[in-house]
Amino acid sequence: MHVRLMKETRFSKQCHNFVCPVNSTFLIFILNLILQGDLGPFNPGLPVEVPLWLAINLKQRQKCRLIPPEWMDAEKLEEIRDKERKEDTFTPMPNPYYMELTKLLLNYASDSIPKADEIRTLVKDTWDTRLAKLRLSADSFVRQQEAHAKLDNLTLMEINTTGTFLTQALDHMYKLRTNLQPGESAQSQDF
Amino acid sequence: MQGSKVEIPLWLAKGLYDIKRRILSVELPKIYKESWRTVFSADANVVDLHKMGPYYYGFGSQLLNFDNPENPEIAQTILQTFIGRFRRIMDSSQNAYNEDTSALVARLDELERALFRAGQKGLNDFQCWEKGQASQITASSLVQNYRKRKFMDMDG
Repeated sequence: MHVRLMKETRFSKQCHNFVCPVNSTFLIFILNLILQGDLGPFNPGLPVEVPLWLAINLKQRQKCRLIPPEWMDAEKLEEIRDKERKEDTFTPMPNPYYMELTKLLLNYASDSIPKADEIRTLVKDTWDTRLAKLRLSADSFVRQQEAHAKLDNLTLMEINTTGTFLTQALDHMYKLRTNLQPGESAQSQDF
Repeated sequence: MQGSKVEIPLWLAKGLYDIKRRILSVELPKIYKESWRTVFSADANVVDLHKMGPYYYGFGSQLLNFDNPENPEIAQTILQTFIGRFRRIMDSSQNAYNEDTSALVARLDELERALFRAGQKGLNDFQCWEKGQASQITASSLVQNYRKRKFMDMDG
């Protein structure tokens, strides 16, 4: 995550600001990060890479301007969406956490991102396409009674929304399928 | 009386059923019979499984314990029914958000209803996250129920 500090913000001023607030554990944590040299140096005007949580925190205090990730761009997302619609398989996403990132960045820093609304719609479209695809492949998976399948390029968020349903359905199907084997039917009766 | 037909619970039939002693022979409930099997193979989606027997899949699996010549067909029909109805359950459970679902689940059997609820939970959790409610801390349902129970005890 890149942030660009505002010109007028100096490091000392930030420190000064941090001492006053109530949240002292947070302050100590941040100071540790900065003093150990993991982050920074924070020079006004120069882009710096920091963790997302820190970027959002700084942004909320209006200490920086966020630089959106490269892929968060209306044209690129449009390309991704069209490719997703065209192909039958899942296309690789620019970031495994694209939903989470879009949500956080658009919620807290929509002024730093050009065409924020358009991006929101594009990401949502891509998400819907992918979920529809997931349902379609789940259905054909069940219909053909496959034993295993491989789904590449799925993100965690997508797995989370349909995972419980799908695994439960496959469990049931497995039990019903063991019924087909004569002689073994007696052991699979615990419904 | 010998030769008479009696309706008895499944557990009793299971206990009495013995191939060697031939105490009883089992007749299938009509929904597992040939005529209904053809209906299922035509279109499983139109059947009201909840009316026909709320535990269609579980009960059907239990019936396979009795040595019936039709066993393979029954098992096959149950499996195909599940496969045929799977798509509709998945789609309706993943798309009905903030809607009255009673019409959707009315025709589902108990196993399918559990499945439907799992799908709804996934959808609701996702919507919850999207609206930013996931980060709010709420009281556990256990705690809430516990309080209610305490009140009831005091009344009594």
